[in-house]
Amino acid sequence: MKYFTYDISKYSVRQLVALPVALLVLSFLFLGFNTLMTGMPVDPGIDFAGGVAVTIPQSTDTPAEVEAYFAGYPLKSVGEGVQGGYYVVFEYMPDEDFLTLSERINDRYPDAKVDQIGETFGKTLQTQALWALLFSFIGMAIVVFIVFKTFVPSVAVVISALSDIVITAALMDIVGITLTLGTTAALLMLIGYSVDSDILLTTRILKRKGKFFEKMQGAFRTGFTMTSTTISAVALMFVVSWIGQIDVIRDISAVLLLGLFVDLMNTWMLNAGILTAYVGGDRR
Amino acid sequence: MSDDTSGTLVKTLKDWRVALMLILVVFSIVSIYVIPPGISNGMTGNLQLGLDLEGGSWIQLSFQSEVIRFDTDEDPEYFAARIGDALDAEVFLFEEDRLEIRAPFTREELEPVFEENGATIVTFEEGVSQDTADQIKLILEDKVNNLGTKDARINTITGLNGVTQYIRLELAGVDIATAQQIVGSQGKFEIRIQTVGNETEHVLYGDAIKSVSTPTQDPPGSDVWGVGFTLSESGAAAFKDAANTYGATTNPDAHEIMMLLDDEIVYSASLNPKLAAELKTTPVRELRATTGAGEEGLEDAKALEIHLRAGALPVDVEIAGSGTVSASLGEHFKVMSVIAGLLALVAVAATVYYWYREPSIVLPMIGTNIAEIIILLGIATYLQQLDLASIAGLIAVLGTGIDQLVVITDEVIYEGRVPSENLYLKRFNRALGIIMVAACTTVIAMLPLAVMDLANLRGFAIITILGVLIGVIITRPAYGKIIMAIMSKKPGER
Repeated sequence: MKYFTYDISKYSVRQLVALPVALLVLSFLFLGFNTLMTGMPVDPGIDFAGGVAVTIPQSTDTPAEVEAYFAGYPLKSVGEGVQGGYYVVFEYMPDEDFLTLSERINDRYPDAKVDQIGETFGKTLQTQALWALLFSFIGMAIVVFIVFKTFVPSVAVVISALSDIVITAALMDIVGITLTLGTTAALLMLIGYSVDSDILLTTRILKRKGKFFEKMQGAFRTGFTMTSTTISAVALMFVVSWIGQIDVIRDISAVLLLGLFVDLMNTWMLNAGILTAYVGGDRR
Repeated sequence: MSDDTSGTLVKTLKDWRVALMLILVVFSIVSIYVIPPGISNGMTGNLQLGLDLEGGSWIQLSFQSEVIRFDTDEDPEYFAARIGDALDAEVFLFEEDRLEIRAPFTREELEPVFEENGATIVTFEEGVSQDTADQIKLILEDKVNNLGTKDARINTITGLNGVTQYIRLELAGVDIATAQQIVGSQGKFEIRIQTVGNETEHVLYGDAIKSVSTPTQDPPGSDVWGVGFTLSESGAAAFKDAANTYGATTNPDAHEIMMLLDDEIVYSASLNPKLAAELKTTPVRELRATTGAGEEGLEDAKALEIHLRAGALPVDVEIAGSGTVSASLGEHFKVMSVIAGLLALVAVAATVYYWYREPSIVLPMIGTNIAEIIILLGIATYLQQLDLASIAGLIAVLGTGIDQLVVITDEVIYEGRVPSENLYLKRFNRALGIIMVAACTTVIAMLPLAVMDLANLRGFAIITILGVLIGVIITRPAYGKIIMAIMSKKPGER
């Protein structure tokens, strides 16, 4: 069918891995810089920083009116939905202020969705989310090492999963998606997606007989079919949740979408490059 | 259809993998819509919906209390009592070497106090013991029931170390102001005395009760349960006056003492002779209400303790987080979620069709995927409520599901040839191998979220894990069988 041809035999290993490695390094620097400046690698949402998030369904108010209405409260941002809805975020405020704010919200926007997270609770969630990320990653690495038993291919899979998460996290911050419980879950989900295509590639190359570049091409056909179907499902989820103002799902799907594209690059350039060097396909 | 084809079809249906999948699909549809009858709930049937789809409010509370593991040579009971006095706080020893301090202190504040009393702090955690958490849960449930809310969930969130850090209330169909009231409100507690016949007179209100103990046996080991409580000085004076004025000290049986919560009698008993005699001359501050012997006595004592506290929690709480979704917005989210799910399915079908251009591959693939989702929803009716996060998980599972069907398909019809049955099985098993590893990693990646109880992410993780397991164990093997039956009827082109 209409696959674009995937023929990496004309590139050297160095050329293959150059782009993903450069992006990985840049992303690490970027996240490190953020951490130094703000204490967090990615701008945290209210789940981690504490604060109040309000989703206002369809409203005739202009953004300026919304801002004016909430003057006097620590307003952080006002985002606009597709259908005239708003997504308003406040920084952390003491309980008494929140009580008056919830009355104010209720007066004008009785159908709003309101979520409030206290500062200490946010801290707890932050620590827990960090542990979850760490445990997931280590667990994944252990499974990969047990399955492949050989060092280089296992490392290749683990590195490309790590690279998926790191580059996606950097992209998230650049496009302005905050780190919330939902987006943390999406990053964890990426571990699963990432390993999917990497394992397919590694198994095909190491456990099947045949010419190296033909196996590579076969793996790419399958892998690309896989990732493109997933992308189509997630893309639809993103569009619908964006229009429908379901921020939880919109953020999760946006991160997954970014991650799936990053994964295409990491699997078929980084991981494939390392495998090429390992198997010696480069020499032909 | 030729005899041969229908023969294969029947054979395929009889294969246990395919049969199991179909049975589970039927079971799931029955679970969602038929038993118990759920059609009246609309398209969502018996699915448990989370607050963000149903409308309602949640409040998560943290405790102004800490749990300390300590090390001392002294008798722990005495030690705990001394610490309580030193801190001027209520201290509850719930294990040999662990106590709960029911007031806000930092570790730095406590360390010198422990040292002075010849003990060291081994661990320090903010939170309450599980016993206290259960009691708080009971009190909150009581309050919620009084409100007549039909659908409320109250969960304690307890770490592996047995310290409960949070308690979470989810109240469907309640706005946030009402929810806050439930947490903060206290009932009106009153003690009255029987005068003549059914007549009673007021003695004191709940504000005269200074402290309430947990249920104890008196005398110790007698299995006769009761709750001790302490009156304020003025309360004790009022109690003495009333008992003397209305004759309860001379004829206790004719003048029962009654406890009322929100004007309902929750306890009634006569003074015991010893107390009656004592009250003739002096006010008594330490009182005790006996509830009876055995298990029943203990249960009554627990209930009475809650009543004596008049709905006040034994530990001060703070709102750690809260949220609310209106019913109409919940309804909107529900509709949008269904649309998102359906469109995602259509997108997947279109993409798969674009790559394979072969209905005999695409239809079973999509069919299997739908079966997977239905089974997942069916099982979820028993296990997990669906909220927005778990719907995202559901769609993510749809993505991995189709991924793995692609792996199977490409593996078995490799190089466009129809393999012999032996070769087919070999390839199919290799494909299952890839899938197993991928499934394993996804499950492991999600496991921390499922265990840690990070608010609503638990649903996302559980749905994802469940979906992956159903896929690997049930639907993908069945798909392998189906695609084999189809491929062996077709010339191997692709």
